[in-house]
Amino acid sequence: MLVEVQSEASSDSGAVSSTVIARVTARKAVRSGFGWGLVFGFYVATQALAYATSYPTVASRELLVQEFGSNPGVSALVGPATQLDTVPGYTAWKCLAVLAITAAVWGILSSTRLTRGEEDAGRWELLLAGQTTRRGAATQALVGMGAGLVVLFITSGVIIVATGRRSDIGMGTSGALFLTLAIVAGAAMFSALGALAGQLSSTRRQASGYASALLGASYAIRMVADSDTSLGWLRWLSPLGWIEELRPLTRPNPLALVPIAVLTAVAVLFTVYLAGRRDLGASTLPDRSSSKAHLRLLSGQAGLALRLMRPTLVSWAAAIIAYGLLLGSIAKSGGKIMTSSPSMQLVFERLGVTGAEAYLGFALLVMAMALCFVAAGQISATRAEESSGRLEYLLVRPLSRTSWLGCRVALATGILVAGGLLAGLSTWAGAAANHAGVRFSPMIGASINVVPPALLLLGVGVAVYGALPRVAVSVTYAVLVWSLLVEITSGVVNVNHWMIDTSMFHQMAAAPSVPVDWTTNAVMVAIGALSALLGLGAFARRDLKGE
Amino acid sequence: MASHAIETFALTKRFGDTEALKDLDLEVSEGEVVGILGPNGAGKTTLIRLLLGLLMPSAGRAEIFGLDCHSQTVEAHRRLAYVAGESNLWPTLTGAETLYLLGQVQGRVDTQYREVLVERFELDVTKKVRALSKGNRQKLSLVAALMTRADLLVLDEPTSGLDPLMEQAFRTCIAEARVQGQSVLLSSHILSEVEVLCDRIGILRAGVLVEMGTLAEMRHLSALTVEATFDGAVPDLSRVPGVTMVEVLGSSVKCQVSGTVEPLLRVLADSGVRELLSREPSLEELFLAHYGSATTGQSDASNAC
Repeated sequence: MLVEVQSEASSDSGAVSSTVIARVTARKAVRSGFGWGLVFGFYVATQALAYATSYPTVASRELLVQEFGSNPGVSALVGPATQLDTVPGYTAWKCLAVLAITAAVWGILSSTRLTRGEEDAGRWELLLAGQTTRRGAATQALVGMGAGLVVLFITSGVIIVATGRRSDIGMGTSGALFLTLAIVAGAAMFSALGALAGQLSSTRRQASGYASALLGASYAIRMVADSDTSLGWLRWLSPLGWIEELRPLTRPNPLALVPIAVLTAVAVLFTVYLAGRRDLGASTLPDRSSSKAHLRLLSGQAGLALRLMRPTLVSWAAAIIAYGLLLGSIAKSGGKIMTSSPSMQLVFERLGVTGAEAYLGFALLVMAMALCFVAAGQISATRAEESSGRLEYLLVRPLSRTSWLGCRVALATGILVAGGLLAGLSTWAGAAANHAGVRFSPMIGASINVVPPALLLLGVGVAVYGALPRVAVSVTYAVLVWSLLVEITSGVVNVNHWMIDTSMFHQMAAAPSVPVDWTTNAVMVAIGALSALLGLGAFARRDLKGE
Repeated sequence: MASHAIETFALTKRFGDTEALKDLDLEVSEGEVVGILGPNGAGKTTLIRLLLGLLMPSAGRAEIFGLDCHSQTVEAHRRLAYVAGESNLWPTLTGAETLYLLGQVQGRVDTQYREVLVERFELDVTKKVRALSKGNRQKLSLVAALMTRADLLVLDEPTSGLDPLMEQAFRTCIAEARVQGQSVLLSSHILSEVEVLCDRIGILRAGVLVEMGTLAEMRHLSALTVEATFDGAVPDLSRVPGVTMVEVLGSSVKCQVSGTVEPLLRVLADSGVRELLSREPSLEELFLAHYGSATTGQSDASNAC
């Protein structure tokens, strides 16, 4: 890529070199936008078709409405379900939250990669030595990113509109396009925020961290807003809430486009403004370049790993604690709605669990998902040490590969177990403060219970890392995203049980509403451990590989 | 057995279809300073990464102080220190933190010498790595390796990014290492550096060690450089037996002769030569003779990349 850029920059002066950043960025963003446009389009198409075929009769659709129309757990996860008895209503509910979040993640990763990432790699220095100013470069990169968004919109829009034209689906063209717009709005807002974060921080990693924290916060706020009707106004404080307020295919509300457009525009303008005010490679937020030596952790590789991960771990811990307290405090009302039907009440009474515990059994799934992201992050950090060449500094010293990777796996395991306990304890504390009737010892069991899927993912990640380091990060995230999609999809549509079984989360018992399934947990941990051992073996026998 | 700091036996490395290193036999005695020269893609870095156990050999094996580079990596690494051509250190650590950490992992540091090195390389160790220039990162990496006083220094183009003053400091360090009896393997494409520092020089080309010897031995193998100025027209020397690399500059000509100089002298005498200068070739010219200038040698080398 670098060679390509160079040859273009030197091939012509004037018009060519003055737009080279825009064109290079656009090429990458368009390629990625096209690919994800296909994914989004086909996801919507399969959801709509699956519904049309699985629930062909009015009676079957009524059942679905009864089951999910007022389920607080589900509506907290993906938003409230309205008009579940129509294909468009169902499709919008099923696709909007999932795809808007996916689009937002895509936006963050693409924009930080194409702006800050390119800058970190030193590619902009080459281009800025020519005719472009820093502000011009940032503007160009944003224009290129915008081209990617347009292609994302067109690609997914064409598929969604085409699907909607089928008589058994019946989404109008304008409705289908509005749904596409709502999904792409997530990508637009968060790619702009990602670019802004790129101006504030000094590395791409840090920029992605800031933007992801914003996404996490807006998801959490929207989740609270959707768990209790009296808190609905909170939706207007969250970018993901605005997307939900667009209500495509049900009761469209174009007014919610206003905050979306304002946020995007402000972030874009700020990005351009800040780009002209800082040095290349520097950050806007204060970044101390000298410091006293802090040697406490640096007596070995384990301490080094902890030291490097400290900022990430602290933010995860804070997020888990905050979210646990939140879940705990809404458990009582959540449980009330959940056990409102007499049959459900009977089921839980027979199991000896309170309403709040029943609710938490469902809600703690999110903690398992969060821990899986921590596990995937560990694989990503491990691989980054190798691909950046930093690992060599350790391995050319008297430190074997097995001890290096083994130590990292042990650390990650400890972090995940600690994360699980933190999740359980903070949830329990939140519930106890609200006298929700959640008992301590089942919560400890439940907090251990959220860890095995993450340990399984960690093991699988280590196995892939050992054998095929260059694809380890993408494979690990693919397994995670697949599990998330299957888990969310299978909740509503009848999916082949073999497919459901491929989701790590599906294996998890919904403790504390049901007893922890220790056998399954042991099997998951054993598979993870075995995979990790295979990975260790493979890692000791292969070449170290850069990018 | 222990008289060799490095010994390789038919060491071979393939990346897919490309053979990066072919049946390489190399010996570095204890206390010896050996330079490896070669253009980019010749296999210098591959060789060094194999010695360090970062790459797995496709065939053959290598030993460091009689310890196998792949089954006894940890033991071998206790006795060596390595500097890469590119310093990718942890951006958030300061220089002092980096040196402390790497010293701890190595398990052996001459702290007094470390201070000398920090001073000699004019390193600000309170700065974070991400705030350091490429040259300063390279200096940090050099100090981290040299401060261990390891028995063997493995240096892969260690002076890339250093200014001439710091290059001088580096040469002082290698001279000190020699006095201390440390062995050194230095890969480089800076010929003057190798010429000054090394006891023996190997030339690596397309994964093959084409030449290995002391500077004197290498000169002996090569041609004589002849420069001549004429009163009249410059004669065509390219057909004279033994003459290669003919360069015409106005009324003068420069070429290399291997074997007997008699045919060349005869042509020159017949053409009215005014000035004649012959000398031993410089390392640059030796190097060019092995890799060619623009013709066959070049394309061979680029095929190997």
